[in-house]
Amino acid sequence: MTNTKRIVLLSLLVGIALIIYVIEAQIPVIFPGVKLGLANIISLFTLLVLGWKESLIVVILRTVMGSIFGGSISAFLFSIVGGLLSNIVMILLYKFFRNYLGLSSISICGAIFHNIGQLLVAAFIIQDLRIYIYLPILLISGVITGYFVGISVGFIYKYFKNFPWIKDIQKGQN
Amino acid sequence: MKKGDKIVGLIIIILITISLLFLGIYRFINKGDKLIAKIIQDQEVIKVIDLDKVEEPKEWTIENEEGHHNTIRVEKGRIRFIEADCPDLVCVNSGWLSKPGDIAVCIPNKILIRIEGKDDEVDQISY
Repeated sequence: MTNTKRIVLLSLLVGIALIIYVIEAQIPVIFPGVKLGLANIISLFTLLVLGWKESLIVVILRTVMGSIFGGSISAFLFSIVGGLLSNIVMILLYKFFRNYLGLSSISICGAIFHNIGQLLVAAFIIQDLRIYIYLPILLISGVITGYFVGISVGFIYKYFKNFPWIKDIQKGQN
Repeated sequence: MKKGDKIVGLIIIILITISLLFLGIYRFINKGDKLIAKIIQDQEVIKVIDLDKVEEPKEWTIENEEGHHNTIRVEKGRIRFIEADCPDLVCVNSGWLSKPGDIAVCIPNKILIRIEGKDDEVDQISY
């Protein structure tokens, strides 16, 4: 029973992440390459509720399907490298330092590594490291967006963790 | 605010400072009194323009092997992408480039424009 609940919840989360991802792509950006990273809310929430494997699943499915719905191959390469790098960093931080770090710190690090990953892909594709002049602005935007993502996840998790079915799922996990 | 948050904050501030420092160094290295725009496609310089010598505004379209295109506009002292068929339009959103060291890239179509302050090309095409 808990297993079914897990799968249902996971599918819902993938769906929500996908919707956020697609909508976010329509929001115009102030500076080239800067994104809000709202879909990260879902990956971080999944990490808190379901665990690291599920959070990776959400990121991978979200990028694969997101690229099918409105992207190109290069956009896919960007998202998958950035998304995985940021997710792995958040998983490691959450696993080993969760007692010392707030959610905002974890998601800020995730956002920063997302941007670094994207720059790595960009530098690799055009074979020019000068693209790193984008780094300062991407770091600063990562701090801002990561901070708000962390706050949002904090709010969502605060309410959801008391839901009986979420408690069930978390119990089944241990 | 937990204990580790301060450490993370400190590391991030140091990172931002270092990256800004590098940006400053980069701008300093590229300083010069000329404005040479280089258009690079697939790591090859396909066009070199002396922006100070541009009299008439000019637009043209560059196409790559896969059939994608970018339109570039050049005016006196500045250059930019005005239109492209890439999905993210980072190149177009980069706006006008008018200072040495400025850069605009279109990753999907592998085109970039770079402005250099010094004139290091011997075989130069200019308008």
